[in-house]
Amino acid sequence: MPQSKFEHVKISGMQVVVPPKEICIYDELHYYGGSVKKVDRMRKMVGFWKRRVADRGVTPSDLAIDAGEKLIAGMDIDKKSIDALIFVVQKPDVPNPATAFFIHQKLCLPKTCMAFDMNLGCPGWVYGLYVAHSMIESKACKRILLLTGDTPASYLNLDDRIKAPLFGDAASATLLDYSQEPSISPSFFEIGSDGEGFELIIKPGLGERIKYVPQMDQVDPEFNKVIFEPFKEFDGRNVNLAGESYMDGVAVFNFTMTVVPEHIKSLMKFAGESPDTIPYLMLHQANKQIVQTVASAAGFPENKASYEAFENYGNQTISSIPALICHTLKDKLKNNSEKMLCSSFGNGLSWASCIITLGNMFCGGVKDFEKRPDHMGRNEVINYWKEKMKGNIND
Amino acid sequence: MTKEEFLTELQDTLQRDDQVLETDKLSDYEEWDSLSKMAVMAFFDKKFGKKVSLTELGSFKTVEDLIKFAGL
Repeated sequence: MPQSKFEHVKISGMQVVVPPKEICIYDELHYYGGSVKKVDRMRKMVGFWKRRVADRGVTPSDLAIDAGEKLIAGMDIDKKSIDALIFVVQKPDVPNPATAFFIHQKLCLPKTCMAFDMNLGCPGWVYGLYVAHSMIESKACKRILLLTGDTPASYLNLDDRIKAPLFGDAASATLLDYSQEPSISPSFFEIGSDGEGFELIIKPGLGERIKYVPQMDQVDPEFNKVIFEPFKEFDGRNVNLAGESYMDGVAVFNFTMTVVPEHIKSLMKFAGESPDTIPYLMLHQANKQIVQTVASAAGFPENKASYEAFENYGNQTISSIPALICHTLKDKLKNNSEKMLCSSFGNGLSWASCIITLGNMFCGGVKDFEKRPDHMGRNEVINYWKEKMKGNIND
Repeated sequence: MTKEEFLTELQDTLQRDDQVLETDKLSDYEEWDSLSKMAVMAFFDKKFGKKVSLTELGSFKTVEDLIKFAGL
């Protein structure tokens, strides 16, 4: 298990972006048989309240570009100084190339800036932070822009009452810089994974394993048909392999309860810290119950583990910790210095934690997403590509 | 923790309006769903330092079974 210490990396800026459209759990009483009492109970136990949902046709990269743009503008930095762009995403714009190159184009980054995607779920921000720290500490790069983005809420099937009220769409931008002087508050990381849990949270269809091959329609009509054939999932909903994600909630909960608290304790031991010396436990905002349970099992009092981002924006997957930091500490980070333990866990299975000290930095908080003037909706993109492939568009 | 305190804490954990009695059957509770089971797992872990799996919890029939598991 990698345990790492970094002394020459500074997090200089953070920005989170959420779609302006807000849905409140009390607006959706009809899904709970019109029972306010039931919703009150869900609110109290799980923390369901409000979440942000992107318009259809808005992708994770659209949100991330806006987060990056706002961060760069807010900090007034020279784009030419960015050595690398890392985009953590599970829903790329296209199967290839990496979506980071599309972002590279839209943000007008220089040709000297490398770009790549990282495919990770909820721990993706901490994972990305780790990779960026490694690249900077080794002096391979001096300045890195780390972006995360996900839209788990925008196309969610509202009949899915297990997943639908949970998720919110969001993106984050984090800027990391090299600092010559060794920091008085180094960063500590610990990361682990368990491939045995590969199937516990997964989207099984439409990768190379269950591939859609148009040419096969002539040879074997069943070949593609089976992917789109509806069947009933365990909760009675009609689903198909092309669109549906699968989650074994019980097994994931057991994993979270058994692995994560021990992992947090192990990182604290490595860093010589304890719950008494760490003012903030920034946990992945899965839901209120999970935040409080993990915090308590790791030895933290509940008041050190906020779930405000979950209540206000929903579970924002990869961007949930940046959103929690930007939502709760926005005004403190400009001048103060705040030590925190960030910990996240999710599909893979994967988990990643770090102890970092943030301060004397730019924090743009959580801002509403603004669509770019050149944004193309789904139909426009479809037409664009048809015309382009017919040879009717020449750049 | 006394049995009485356990019953009050359980009622709060389940977010149940009605009083919780030792002889109650868990399957009679509308609130005995996966959400509650997870909350009870966390409750045992926090208050008694006892790990229980969801499968194990599913095999408990009455409130008395929970009290026994807690060791009261």
